[in-house]
Amino acid sequence: MTAANPTVEARPLSGRSWRRWTQRHGWTVGIWILLVVLVVWYSTLIPRFGGFQFSTIINGGTAWIFLAAAQAVVVIAGGLDLGVGGLLVLTSATAAQFMDGQPFAISIVLAVVILIGAAILNGFVGWIVTVSRVPDIVVTLGSLFIYQGLALMMLPKVGGGSSDGFRWLFTGSATGIGTNPWPAIVMITVPIAVAARWMGRTPSGLSLYAVGSDETAAFLSGVNAARVKIVSYAVGGAFVAMAGFSTLAIAGVGNATTEGSSLTLNSVAAIVLGGVLFTGGVGSLIAVVPAALILFFFNPILSALGVNPNQAQVIQGILIVFVMMVASLIEWRRRRRS
Amino acid sequence: MWKKTKALRFVVVLVVLAFIAAACGSGESAETTTASEEQDDTFTLGVSNNVVGNSWREQMICAIKAEARVRGNVDQVVLLNRDTDTAGQISDITSLISQGVDAIILNPGDPEAFNAVIEEAVDQGIVVVVVDNGVTTDAAYLVSNDQTAYGELGARWLFETLGGEGNVAYMRGIDGVGADTDRDTGFQAALADYPGITIVSEVFTDWSPTNGAQQALEILTTQEIDGIWTSGIDYSVVEQFPVAGIDYVPIVGADNNAFIGQLLNTEGLTGVAISNPPSVGGAGAAVALDVLEGKTVSRQTLLTPAAIADRSDLEEVYVEGLTEGWSSYMEIEPYTTYTSADVIACLGPGE
Repeated sequence: MTAANPTVEARPLSGRSWRRWTQRHGWTVGIWILLVVLVVWYSTLIPRFGGFQFSTIINGGTAWIFLAAAQAVVVIAGGLDLGVGGLLVLTSATAAQFMDGQPFAISIVLAVVILIGAAILNGFVGWIVTVSRVPDIVVTLGSLFIYQGLALMMLPKVGGGSSDGFRWLFTGSATGIGTNPWPAIVMITVPIAVAARWMGRTPSGLSLYAVGSDETAAFLSGVNAARVKIVSYAVGGAFVAMAGFSTLAIAGVGNATTEGSSLTLNSVAAIVLGGVLFTGGVGSLIAVVPAALILFFFNPILSALGVNPNQAQVIQGILIVFVMMVASLIEWRRRRRS
Repeated sequence: MWKKTKALRFVVVLVVLAFIAAACGSGESAETTTASEEQDDTFTLGVSNNVVGNSWREQMICAIKAEARVRGNVDQVVLLNRDTDTAGQISDITSLISQGVDAIILNPGDPEAFNAVIEEAVDQGIVVVVVDNGVTTDAAYLVSNDQTAYGELGARWLFETLGGEGNVAYMRGIDGVGADTDRDTGFQAALADYPGITIVSEVFTDWSPTNGAQQALEILTTQEIDGIWTSGIDYSVVEQFPVAGIDYVPIVGADNNAFIGQLLNTEGLTGVAISNPPSVGGAGAAVALDVLEGKTVSRQTLLTPAAIADRSDLEEVYVEGLTEGWSSYMEIEPYTTYTSADVIACLGPGE
């Protein structure tokens, strides 16, 4: 895992910088360790843990990861996007409608078009948020319903499809089920790594954090805050399109009646667990990835433990509140110390 | 101050490592117990259902649990019962496969999307029984109610009762869903034989009692109708006649207990109950266990609906005090071995 490498780098550092390092990355490392522990634990709960089990977790978790990444980018830049679930349904329904019966090459072209379209559409939502000054929670609640409605217009009945190669890209198999997790791992790693690097190392990416932590200060130091926010919604939209593609690749057919709102709530829960602060300016995509996987993983684990899925939701809710409390406790202690 | 937290962190890491070590250790022992379990003749059933809060589906699950309990050779029913989309239900089925269940009973949300995961399960030696809604793969055993016959049987009764002439309201289910399409096929087949019948209103109730009630009230107050065909949203439609102040017209419904109660106890109401038993789940469990026990079972089991209109028949199936929305018709011969009381108790093995 990527988390192991920084630990090695950190060793020669002095005590003080080690402390800074853990302050910065402690949550990320912790959440990766939690994921590994859960996977190991799960493997003891079921009779056999092999390629099939591993790849079903990765494949099933892909959409959760992209959706959480989308939410994380927007929240880090100081916004909130309740529309992500609706946009997922819209992108997967649109892809299902147009990719059905097309060869692989065409489906990839369509995917790129839909991805850009989703980015522009959600960037437009971001533009409305910045221009109208209506709270983001209200605007994106509206966009959630609009996306959901557009999806139903796009694909009134369950149906459509995609190409075999397209399904392989996200699931490692033309049928959406199999034992090969690698295509999905690559599909997750490349965009997330590129985005994480952009956000952490480049001026335009770092301005997301600047605007998220203090919009006025960022504006005074010459950052175009409105533009940064629009960009965050657009990047979020692109990630949501990836989540939509993954959902279509797994299911094989599009379904516009899927409840987008519950998908949105999953994304919000995942960024909370991933250590992204709602106040903006704090968080990392690298921590959101395992957090989303952990949340996805909850259902298989609890069902292996014999817990009813409806009770599982209660447990999931308690976990999120607990994580929020731990996170704010850590933040409070850090403030008191400094 | 920070030295203390460093020490604390060290302890946390140790605990985690110990936990991982313990988990790895217990992994081996878990495998050995499963191996010994497989030698005796008890089975684990997995159930995947994608609609929660619908009494038909609730009763279907109770029938599965009841059959598993009464058979006596099922040690556990793993129930994955939640409102979810296709991708979510596929992941539920993969987790049932991972848990090593012996059979999966599945009510699929789509006719084609589950083919691959079903074939994967069958490849791994799991018996898959698809109940209620069908799938297109032949790897699974299918157990379903004959929806075409359902549509036709009720329609013929209604058109015959009306003497082959009159205006009929056609209250369907959900547009595009397999059962609704099949019922329509049956309905249209019957309609073709009765040229004197006019469909004056065609609506989709989405199988929601509240929707159905509103639509019925609208139809009753705006149109002159002689009969109503409903796709199972029946008792809430019947309730609208007194609300609208209109005399009852012949009505076709399903075997909902509340509707049968109305047919028995309401002055001036005539109707027929066409059976669409949720106990198809119980029959599915019976098929799964028969296959596991090594019996030869037909790949496809189609349960023929019954038209219940005579007073004596209605009295026979009616269950006093049953939960609203439940179906009266529970024992499906020759498949299920439980009694109605077992289904109502809704207890699985070991509960």
